[in-house]
Amino acid sequence: MAKVLFEWDYSKYPGAKKFPHLFKPIQVGNLMVPNRIVYAATEDNLNTHDGFVTDADVAYMRSRAEGVVGGMCFMQGVYMDPDRKGQGYVGQAACWDDKFIPGLKRLADAIHSERAVAGFQLMDCGRVGAVEVDHGKGPSTVPQRLRIFRPMYEMSKDDIKLMIKQHLDSAKRGLEAGFDVMEISGIVGYLISNFVSSYTNRRKDEYGGDIRGRMKAVVEIIEGLKKICPKEVPVGIRLCAEELLDDVRGNTPEESMMSYKIAEEAGIDYFSVTAGWQESIVPVISRDVPQGSWLHLAKRSKENVKVPIMMAYRLFDPSIPHKAIEKGDLDIWEMCRPMIADPLMPKKVLEGREEDIRWCVACNLCLARLFRDAPMTCYINPLCAHEHDPRYTNPPPADPKKNIMIVGAGPAGLECAYMAAQRGHEVHVYDKRKELGGTILEASRAPYGDDELMTCIKYQKVQCERAGVQFHLGTEVTEELIKDELPDSVVLATGPVYPKSKAPGFDSANVVNVLDVLRGNAKVGENIIVWGNRKPGIGVGLLLAKQGKKVTLVGKEKSAGFDINPSFKWRYMIYLRQNGIKAYNDCEIDEVKPGEIIVKTYDGYRLPVKCDTIVVTERVPNENLKSVVQAEGIELFVIGDALVPRNLSSAVHDGFHIGVRI
Amino acid sequence: MAFDAEKEISKLWGDLHGAQSEIGRTYFRWRQAALAVAGPNANPLEVSLKAAEIIGKELGKQSLPRLNFLKGEETWLRSLAGGMAIQWIMQGAIVKIDKGEKPSEIFIKWERCPWPSFHKEYGVKMEEDVLCCDRILQSILPDVNTFFNVNYKIETLKAIPRGQGVCLRRLYKA
Repeated sequence: MAKVLFEWDYSKYPGAKKFPHLFKPIQVGNLMVPNRIVYAATEDNLNTHDGFVTDADVAYMRSRAEGVVGGMCFMQGVYMDPDRKGQGYVGQAACWDDKFIPGLKRLADAIHSERAVAGFQLMDCGRVGAVEVDHGKGPSTVPQRLRIFRPMYEMSKDDIKLMIKQHLDSAKRGLEAGFDVMEISGIVGYLISNFVSSYTNRRKDEYGGDIRGRMKAVVEIIEGLKKICPKEVPVGIRLCAEELLDDVRGNTPEESMMSYKIAEEAGIDYFSVTAGWQESIVPVISRDVPQGSWLHLAKRSKENVKVPIMMAYRLFDPSIPHKAIEKGDLDIWEMCRPMIADPLMPKKVLEGREEDIRWCVACNLCLARLFRDAPMTCYINPLCAHEHDPRYTNPPPADPKKNIMIVGAGPAGLECAYMAAQRGHEVHVYDKRKELGGTILEASRAPYGDDELMTCIKYQKVQCERAGVQFHLGTEVTEELIKDELPDSVVLATGPVYPKSKAPGFDSANVVNVLDVLRGNAKVGENIIVWGNRKPGIGVGLLLAKQGKKVTLVGKEKSAGFDINPSFKWRYMIYLRQNGIKAYNDCEIDEVKPGEIIVKTYDGYRLPVKCDTIVVTERVPNENLKSVVQAEGIELFVIGDALVPRNLSSAVHDGFHIGVRI
Repeated sequence: MAFDAEKEISKLWGDLHGAQSEIGRTYFRWRQAALAVAGPNANPLEVSLKAAEIIGKELGKQSLPRLNFLKGEETWLRSLAGGMAIQWIMQGAIVKIDKGEKPSEIFIKWERCPWPSFHKEYGVKMEEDVLCCDRILQSILPDVNTFFNVNYKIETLKAIPRGQGVCLRRLYKA
């Protein structure tokens, strides 16, 4: 009889009727889990730099535990060695000594307080570890492809034995802390995956060679864990079903499936299926990868092993995992980024409140921050990693209540509007256009998945309506209107303007605005210069290139896509090349002549580039109403691109911060 | 065959930048080699300063045939400053020369310089960049001063590696 930790009855919830396969129980090992939802172990860099759990991390985990509504909720993987070679993140939790148990217990208790199943993960970061020390360890000394990671030294057999012991000792501490599920991390370049992969394991001894040899250390860990874990504690592993390392002769898909079979023979109770390494040169989880793209790997895994299969990796829309479970291609829906963006996402699905979900836009800013030793944050969720801070989670009610005029119904204005209205202010949002969304309406028309950006606006619209925000769409705010309404506060969220270059001849050229081009309202020629090499320029450039135009980016930034986070930017650089787009960075338009422009490089060289249309994407703040508001003595706030032209994230965060303090 | 000016110039520009990058990397590879040979007791800064001194002395000797006092001391000084600046310009820096308050004073301003980035890339302290540039420039002067029987000095007023936005140096008659 499988153990039941918490009883859950979902029968009355609309989400359980709409997605019955997500909310039915499953037996994992000898544990009965009430539903098919898992928050996957995710680093957050919220803990102390010597590995102790903090209040911030406990609050972060508690909110994710609430979100899984009885499902499994994994804390971040812990590193297990006192010499910190296995530590891959500066704020990673440690488990190499009993002194860490009280902190870990706080996490287990927090998860249990939400009646969820508490998962513990053992994660030696191996090749991508040693964040605080000079050298990492691995089965072999294969050089790093990415400079950000440390040089490696080859582990001796004694080192391997010690590493296995550290896994088992840490697991004992996890059990003592009260966790219910034990998981080994063997993905994306961490130590276990280094042993499994033919790319990083070149050993000639019994821990190398063929896939059985490369799995030997993993098998010894699994067998050890099965001995020390009570029978009602399942032991699982996150393991690559496809490494996507063909270019460096990594494991074949057949070898990866063989690794699954070997792990199952050793007694593993479930698999979390993953794809790719951090060193893979193909995109795996960014927005340009359509949702559900990796489900074939779950299906393949199901065909090869009998134990339950769970998977994350671009499964944001609940209907996708629901159908996959129904078809028998998947057993459990796992996620991390969707619950970074909205910790209560699955709970809202259960309650039939999908319109209240703040959807992840798969930008990978969260990951980029972690790799650069910064605390977790989310592109579109300003509350993320501030769950412990009442200034964020429970801002004070409005005092005094104000009549607030927000000018601009883009992401900054809408975020500010509903936050201020929720606190009790009377909020009026004006926009000269008849649609909500501001420049995101156009930005979402760029290729490679940018349509997902509109999910942010849809969420904000619902929140504004719920909070009683009054919209005045199709109404341009003028000096007269401000004087007539005389609000207590004005928030300018008017976005940017697109100034023309001062280069000679610019006025006589066929110059169009990026927004008109994205809307399809501008007439463009065949040889197009996109003036501006930030994300708006890249987006419109790719759109035009896909229409068969010859596109050249010219911009002042030292590298194209300066404003895109590094974990996504590399994708755009590849797309620029694939679409034949040349980028002149750190350059200006020096002169516009008939049929061509003269580009001037930062170091003074001039070169002609064919051009019949210039698309302006360079932006400056729109400050039209600033002086009017100030002249009336009205409290003024400026947010989003109207303050400094940046990106969607900055707009949302600006709006939030003013909304909670206005 | 049609001549594509954009293609030709952008290729040359790309090659130039590639070569400029190699200058920096080559320096640091040799620095590593020197330190490896010098052994663990060697002070890396002392090794770099010695290299800077050799570079500066060499540049000073090279400049002697190019300087002409017959054009007047102010023009001579401008040529000397220009000769210093061109060394960094060739490596990818943007350097400008401004007149001082007196004819015997001139300011050299580095608005952009690739060397701090190389120091960062190779994990070398930023201050070493400032001190090495100082040493190069100071080592140019002894031979020049002796040859022309003058006494010029150079001092650093600001430095990019110190976070001051530009490198500003004053070349003046002592």
